[in-house]
Amino acid sequence: MLSKVLIANRGEIALRVLRACRTLGIGAVVAYSEADRDSLAAQLADEAICIGPADARHSYLSAPAIISAAVVTGCDAVHPGYGFLSEDEGFAEVVRAHDLTFIGPSAEVLERFASKEATRRILAAHGLPTIPGSGMLRDESHALDEADRIGYPVLIKPSAGGGGKGMRLVRTPRELESTLKVSRSEAMAGFGDDSLYLEKYLDDNRHVEIQVAIDRFGNAIHMGERDCSVQRRHQKIIEETPSPALSDAARKELAERALKAVSAAGYENLGTLEFLVDGKGDAYFIEINNRIQVEHPITELCTGIDLVALQIKIAAGEPLGMTQADVVSRGHAIEFRIMAEDPAKDFRPQAGQIVAYLAPGGPGVRMDSHIYPGYEIPPYYDSLLGKLCVWAPDRPGAIARGDAALRELLVDGVTTNIELHRAILANQIFIDGKVTTNLLDRVGSAPFVAAGTR
Amino acid sequence: MPTSAGNPDPIGADADEALRTRRDHEAIAHLADELLPALIAKLAASGLGEIEVHEGGWKARLRKPAVAHDARPSTARTSEAHVASGPAAGRGSGPRPEERDRRPRPAEEPSEEPGRIAAKSPAVGVYHPRRDLVVGMRVRTGDKIGTVDVLGVKQDVVAPVDGVIGSSLAEAGEAVEYGQDLVRIELPEHTPVDPAGRPAREPAPVAGRA
Repeated sequence: MLSKVLIANRGEIALRVLRACRTLGIGAVVAYSEADRDSLAAQLADEAICIGPADARHSYLSAPAIISAAVVTGCDAVHPGYGFLSEDEGFAEVVRAHDLTFIGPSAEVLERFASKEATRRILAAHGLPTIPGSGMLRDESHALDEADRIGYPVLIKPSAGGGGKGMRLVRTPRELESTLKVSRSEAMAGFGDDSLYLEKYLDDNRHVEIQVAIDRFGNAIHMGERDCSVQRRHQKIIEETPSPALSDAARKELAERALKAVSAAGYENLGTLEFLVDGKGDAYFIEINNRIQVEHPITELCTGIDLVALQIKIAAGEPLGMTQADVVSRGHAIEFRIMAEDPAKDFRPQAGQIVAYLAPGGPGVRMDSHIYPGYEIPPYYDSLLGKLCVWAPDRPGAIARGDAALRELLVDGVTTNIELHRAILANQIFIDGKVTTNLLDRVGSAPFVAAGTR
Repeated sequence: MPTSAGNPDPIGADADEALRTRRDHEAIAHLADELLPALIAKLAASGLGEIEVHEGGWKARLRKPAVAHDARPSTARTSEAHVASGPAAGRGSGPRPEERDRRPRPAEEPSEEPGRIAAKSPAVGVYHPRRDLVVGMRVRTGDKIGTVDVLGVKQDVVAPVDGVIGSSLAEAGEAVEYGQDLVRIELPEHTPVDPAGRPAREPAPVAGRA
C-alpha cells in the first residue's frame, strides 16, 4: 500500500481525498497555492505545503512544483483530484518517472483515451454504439443519401473544426441542399479545409454516465449510472442515480455493455463512460472521464463504496477486492452543486467572504464542502462551494429530503444558486424525471426561480 | 515622541539620551516580565500565528517562527513543540489543527515592517545559500543569495531590497515551500525605518517603539 499521498488539488475534492487517505491510514500532504493558504484542506491536513502563487499555471498546473513538493515531503504518490492535471498523460508520465504513483490511469491509458474521436472509434470497435454519422461528404447527392441513412435532423460538421465551431443544424433535405454550399465556404474560410461530415442530432437528450472500476488484474465492476441531465451551458447542476430516463433492464444492459467494452479496450482504474440517451431510450457513447468525478458521492450513497479509497487502492496495485455480485445499489441519491454564482446576473461567479455557514443534517444527508464562516473565496478558481447530496429509499423521498436540506443550508456572504435548486426540485418536469440537457438553456433559469419563489 | 506606558516623561522630547535609554530599558523589562508571559500563554493556547499588543507608546509582537532555529527566546518554548524545521521534516507529527502552528504568511508580514524584510523562496524545493553568504554582507536588490533546487533545476533566491544580510531562516539543504522566508535582510543602519526615526536593531523583534 502507499504510505503518503500528495494531494495536488484544492477545494472540496482536496478535502475528500484527505478523508479517504485518513480512512485508509495513509499519510497525506495538501499542496496549496498562496491563495488557498486558509483553505480547509490545508488547515485540516497534518501536513501542507505551498507550491506556488494563486495563478494555477504556476501552482496546481505546474508539474515541477507538484512533483518537487511530493519529493521533498517524502510522498510516494500523487492524487490529482479532478480538473487541473488529472487527465494529463504527460503529467502522469513525469510522476512515474520520479518513482511516484499517479492515482489514476497510467500514462498509456490516458494517452489512448485522450482524443474523443479516437476513443469513440476504439469503443465502437468494442461494441458501443456511437452517434451515427457519415464519412467525409463527396458531393451533394452523397450528402443527401447519407442524411437519409442517418435520419434527420443532422448536424453538418466541418472536419477541421472543433468545440462546436462551424456546425449547422438541418432538419430537411431542402435545408441540407441549401446549407451545404454555405458550410463548405465557411469551413474553407474558417479552417482552411472544406471537408464536411454529418452527424445525427439528438434533440432532447439526456446525459447518462456509467461508473466503472478496473484493477490491473482485469477485475472489473460497474457501479451503475448517474443521470446528469440538469445542465446549464454544458455545466452539470444536479445529478441523480438511478436515472429516471431508463428502465431497470435498460440501465443494467447499458452498464454491462459499457464495462465489457471499456475492459476489452484496456482501461484501468476508476473511470466514467458518458452517453447521450435520446427520447427513445437509445444510448450513444460520447467520451470517457479518466478521473474521479465531482458527482461521485451519489454513487457512494447508493452502493456504500468509497470510490476515492477504491481509486487509491487500484493505483497502489491492489485488487478490487470485490466482484460485480458484491455491488448492490440501494435507493435513490441526488447531488446539488452549490455554486457561488448569481442566477439573476447570468450566473456571474461571486467572490467574497463567507459570513455564516451552516450545513444541513438529518438522515441521508451529506455535505462535501470546504467552506467555513470567515472563509474568503479566492477569485482565481471555480465557484463550487460544495456538494449537497441526499439519499432516500426512493426518488420522491430523495426529492423531499433534498428540499428539506436545501432549506436548512445556510450560506451567507455571497450569492449562491441554492434557490435555483429548490425551484428545479419543485418543477413538474423534474418531478416527472423528464429533464433534458437543453431544458435550462431553452427555458432560461429565470422562470424556474420565479415559479419556485411563488 | 512616544513615551513608555504609565511613565510620562516630565522633561519632554528633549530629554537627554541617557535618561531615555534608561526609561526604554525599564519599559522593556516591564514588557518582558509581565506582559510577555501572558502573551506567550495566549499565543500557545490560541493557535494563532501572531499576536500584537499595543500598550502606551509600545507594541509587542509575538510570532511563531516558521523554523525552529528562528525561534526567539520569547516564543521558543511554546512553538518548538509544534514546529519542525520545514516541510521535509514534516508538520506531520500530528498536532491537532486547532493547536497547530499556522504557517507564516510570507507574502504579507515581514515585508510590511521596514527593516524586517526577508528573501523568499521562489519555489518548492531544496534550499542552498550562496557559499560566501555571511551575516553583515551588503546586498543590492536582485543580488543572488542562493538557489532552490526544483527537481534538479536551480531557481535563484534574490535580495528583494538593498540591505545587509541578517539571520538565516532556513538551513542549507533544507526543504522549503514557495514563498518561505529564507534570509532576513536588514536595511542599512543609516536608513530611517520607523516613525521615531530610529534604525531597526537586532534585538528589535520582541519589543520596539510603535
